[in-house]
Order: sequence, then structure tokens, then C-alpha cells
Amino acid sequence: MNIQRLFQRTLFGIFLLFGIIAVSTSWVCIATVDSQLSEEYVSNSKGIAKTIADASVDIILNRDLSALQSLIDQFLEIQGINYIYIVNEDGEFLAHTFVPGIPEEILSSDRAGTDSIERSFSDAENYIEVGSPILAGVAGSVYIGMDKSLISLKIQRAVGRQMYLISSIFIAGIFAAIWLVNLAAKPVSALLAYAVQLAQEQKGEQATQNPLLERDDEAGQLARLFLYFAKIVDPDRVEPQAAK
Amino acid sequence: MPLLTRRNLLKTSIAGSLALPFVTRLALAQESLASEGVSDSQIVLGTSAAFSGPSRGLGIELYRGAQAYFAHINGQGGVRGREVVLKLYDDGYQPVPSVQNTMKLLLEDKVFALFGYVGTPTVTRVLPILKKFQQEDILLFFPFTGAQPQREPPYGEFAFNLRASYREETQGLVDNFLSVGRTRIAVFYQADAYGRSGWAGVRKALSAYGESIVGEATYKRGSRFSSSMRDQVEILKKSDPQAVICIGAYGACAAFLRDAVDAGLEIPIANLSFVGSENLLQLISEGTEASDRYSRHLVNSQVVPSYEDESIPVVKEYGELMRRYNPKVPGDLYQADYQPFDKSFVSLEGFVNAKLLVEILNRLGDAPSRERLEEAVFSIKDFDLGIGELISFSPERRQGMRRLYYTVVEEGRFIPLYDWSARFS
Repeated sequence: MNIQRLFQRTLFGIFLLFGIIAVSTSWVCIATVDSQLSEEYVSNSKGIAKTIADASVDIILNRDLSALQSLIDQFLEIQGINYIYIVNEDGEFLAHTFVPGIPEEILSSDRAGTDSIERSFSDAENYIEVGSPILAGVAGSVYIGMDKSLISLKIQRAVGRQMYLISSIFIAGIFAAIWLVNLAAKPVSALLAYAVQLAQEQKGEQATQNPLLERDDEAGQLARLFLYFAKIVDPDRVEPQAAK
Repeated sequence: MPLLTRRNLLKTSIAGSLALPFVTRLALAQESLASEGVSDSQIVLGTSAAFSGPSRGLGIELYRGAQAYFAHINGQGGVRGREVVLKLYDDGYQPVPSVQNTMKLLLEDKVFALFGYVGTPTVTRVLPILKKFQQEDILLFFPFTGAQPQREPPYGEFAFNLRASYREETQGLVDNFLSVGRTRIAVFYQADAYGRSGWAGVRKALSAYGESIVGEATYKRGSRFSSSMRDQVEILKKSDPQAVICIGAYGACAAFLRDAVDAGLEIPIANLSFVGSENLLQLISEGTEASDRYSRHLVNSQVVPSYEDESIPVVKEYGELMRRYNPKVPGDLYQADYQPFDKSFVSLEGFVNAKLLVEILNRLGDAPSRERLEEAVFSIKDFDLGIGELISFSPERRQGMRRLYYTVVEEGRFIPLYDWSARFS
């Protein structure tokens, strides 16, 4: 019997088990956080877009566009909002927050509605864009771009925390497994050594005085069984002390 | 020595009770005046402006011009015996600090009025505070911005402007460019309320001619001369413009001019008065022997005449008082690495602002109060400030001047531009 191999297999099993747990819980975590944050993002963005749209009506109809720009600049301070733009009913840009200019992707897109869409600019970042009509659309629309990297960052943080917890449990599990395997392996090793001793001794008293024979677990029963078979094979053997 | 008799005590208490209401009323009046930023010896005005950061030159020069006149008046005994004092705070040309400073000026310092604010993004955020405190009759005088929000409802009634508006400045530039056949006009602007105000002015002026802005590019407020504006230049080059109107501050506009000319965009590049012309010229001239390569494309609109033209009475007075007082920004706001200009368009504007404000304070009489401040402003009718333009205010007219001046650079100095076709055809 190869104890080392038994130990390796146990460790492999633990690794496999924890790997499956880590991957599956991470996947569930990513999917849950992503979907919940995206929904929350879209919902909040729509609320902000509607607030700007409602506040814009009076400015667009009665006031200078600098007041409109001042309004959207204040909302840009909210974490996660990457850009805001307002177009009139003809699609002409009235105010925006883009630097150094309005991205080609937005200029070239024919944005009719105010549904949520995903956008990807040349800066390789991904955005969720939501819109809200101003005065039911007859005065234009407000669009807000929310940075998806913030969602990714939050997912990374959530998964990171989860992996930290699983890794801690895993490391504790390894130490526990080593201790348990050692606990199980010691009597097996002693039994193995005892079997070898029985096989080597022609007629010895030492085999009958092994402390293994006094154990009341499976190792002790096997040791006594080995001695019993050894006596059948060689009747000159002395009765074990424990058996007396 | 009066004895402490029953009769004397009775006399004293009767006299005391008769005098008490008058004494109390006087004390309350004194307290009320002091709480309005006015005491027997001072009238305190509050200022929040850029004294640090990439646009500090604007705040510093505006203050220096105003302080030259206030120092002159204070040296002569002040306004009806009261010294005019400016309480200064630095906002770095950022909206949030300007709001905080304004709250401090109103609630803690209890200033008489606000004066000499710098910038559109700052002033537009301060205006709602003035509406909130309208019961206190707080007014903002002569901010260094030509934006519309302090010129129209709902906040127009809380501010008085002296300078021409950005709408008028951009209208003038568009008119002149179109008059010399440059119809394809692009805009380079600061991505905030100031930039948008100028952009809207250009758009409106062009639409009157059936034209529209051919290209636009923005930059972030606070950009310095060291920033690259190549991306912006590339965006504008694609629209093949015949002129560019910049709505920005000197650091970014100088960087844009440098990168535009370096990229071969050799067309007229105009700036509004807010830019800080001398600061801009200094930046594009530093470290290059051929600064004319950049400056010959410049054309800046101004809201005050050339500070070199001492045939104009107020310019002569400005020159004399700047030389005499050479004001410096007080201790905690002092910027050791900033070298002020002997004279500049910005400090001349500050000087003119201060001169008109002193006239208004003088018209308040011996017991100035905020309550009568607006009335005093409206009493200004066809007032000759010595600038060549008569100034009037009324409830419908809250901007004193409308005249514009155009300047170009020759031999490292700004000179008036009268003939656009000779220069830019």
C-alpha cells in the first residue's frame, strides 16, 4: 500500500472540490452582481436623465445654453456618470460634456429613441447609455453615459472578497487534511511495518508483543488477524500478549 | 459729587428710562449697519476669484486694477469718510470653492456687496445663492464674465454688469469675419458654462447669416499651456475652417494656438476678452525667438480700450494710479512665482469697475444701506466714466457698456485693429 499516493489523491480531491466551489460561486456572483448593478445603474441613470430633462425645459425655452451646461456639469460630478449630452428635436447638440469633442460613434449614430443601449468608444471603454425625452420629445432629449468599468470594478471587488474567503477556507482545509491524513496514515504505516515484521520473523516473540495488537480499532483488528494467519501458517508462534 | 440720595436715584432712573429707547435704537442701527458690511470707518466688499491655478492671472490682474482705484480713493479719505475694503477669497476658478467662499462672505464676513468675481462657471453657481438671500438685498457688482445668466431672468436682478456680454463679443467677431469672407467658422471652447455661453453666441450670430459652426472641439477647464491640444486641432482641421473662435482662458488658448500653427492651421484665431490677452501673449512668446509665427494669427476682442491709448481720460488715470500704487495681492493669496503686468486689459477693466462702484457708493450718501443700493445704481444716467461711452442703468438695463474693441499683435504688443480686410482678407 502506497501511503504517499493516497495522500496525493486526497489533496487532489480537495483541490478539485475547492476549484469547483470557487469557479461556480464566482460565476454566480458575477452574474448576480452584474445583473443587479446593471439594472440599478440603468434605473438610477434614467432617474437622473429624467431630472435633467425636467429641469431643462425652462432653460431650453427661456434661457441661455450656458445655464443648461452648468446644470449638466453638476450631474457629471456623480460617480459613474461619464458623459451627458442634450440634443434638440432636430438632433442638434445643445450641450455636452465631451472632451476633446463629440465621439464619432455618437455623431454617426441615428439615435431616435431613449431606450438603454450599450456604447463602446475608441477609448475601449464600455458605457450604458440611457435617455429621457424633454417635454415628451418635442424639445429634444437628454442622454447619459454610465461607465461600465465601475460595474466591472464592483464585480471584481465582490469576487475578490469571495475568493479571499474561499482561499482562507481552502488553506485551513489543507492543513486540516494533512493532519487528518497523517492521523489515518500512522496506524496504517504501523500495520504495514507489522505485516513485514511477521513475514520476516520465523519464530519471534517480538511480533506477539507489538502495541498495535492492543489497539481496538481496525488497525488493531487487522494486526491480530495477520498474527492469526501467521500462526496458522506457523503454529510455533507464541500467543500474542493481548490475546491472552 | 452727587450724593446717593433717594431724589438723585429717582432723577437718574427717570432720565435713564427716557434715554433708553434712543440709545437702544442707535445701538441697533449701528449693529445693523455693521452687519451689512458698513461701519463708521469702512465699507467691506466681498470677492471670490482665481488667485491660484492656471487662470490666476485673471483674478490677480482684475484685483490689482480695482485696488489701484480703491487705494487712490482711500488715500483721499475714502467714500464719505469710509475706507473701501475688499475681503478676498481664492476659488481657483472652480465652482464649488466659489460657492463656499460666497457663503462665508455673506454669513461670516457679512459684506456690504459682492464685487469683482471671475468666471462664468463660478458666477453661474453663485447666482442661486443671491436669490436665496434676496431678503438681504445682496447684489453682485461687475463680475468678470460676459455670460448671460447674470443678465437675464431669473437671476439678472441680483447682478449689475459693466462689460459687454459674450453674446455681443461673439456677434462682433462673427460679423467681422464674415465681412472679410471668412464664413467657415469653427469653435474651440472650454467644456463648461463659459465655453457653452460663447459657443451659443457664435451659433446665434452665424444663424443670423444662415451659417452654422463648421467644427467644434473642447478642452477641460484648468488645462495649462503645457497641455497638448493636438487632438482638438485635428478635430477642427477636418472641418476645414477659415477662422477659429476660442472661448477659453489663456493657458489652454495659448496651447491651442501653438499646436494649431505647428500643425499648419494658419488661419485667424480669435479670443474673447476673458482670455487674458497679456498672459496669453507672454506664454506664446516665452522660449521662442519667432513668437510672431504664432501671434500674427491672433485677434482678440476686448471690452475696454487699449491701455496704451492715454488720450482716453480713464486710461490716463489708470496708468498714473497703477504706477503710483502698483497693488499686490495680499499675503495669504500672494503668488511668488507670478509676475504681474504693469498694465493689462484685465486690470484696466478692474480699475473701471472700481471707479463706477465708488460712484455708486458715493450716491448712497452718508448712511449707506443695501436696501438703497439698487436705487443708487439706477440713478446712474449718462454717466461719463471717461471711457468714451456714457453709462446708464435702469431696471431694464443692467449692463453699463456695450462697446467692443479688437486687437492684434504687432512687435510683441497688442494694438487696435480697425481694418479687418487689410489684415485677414
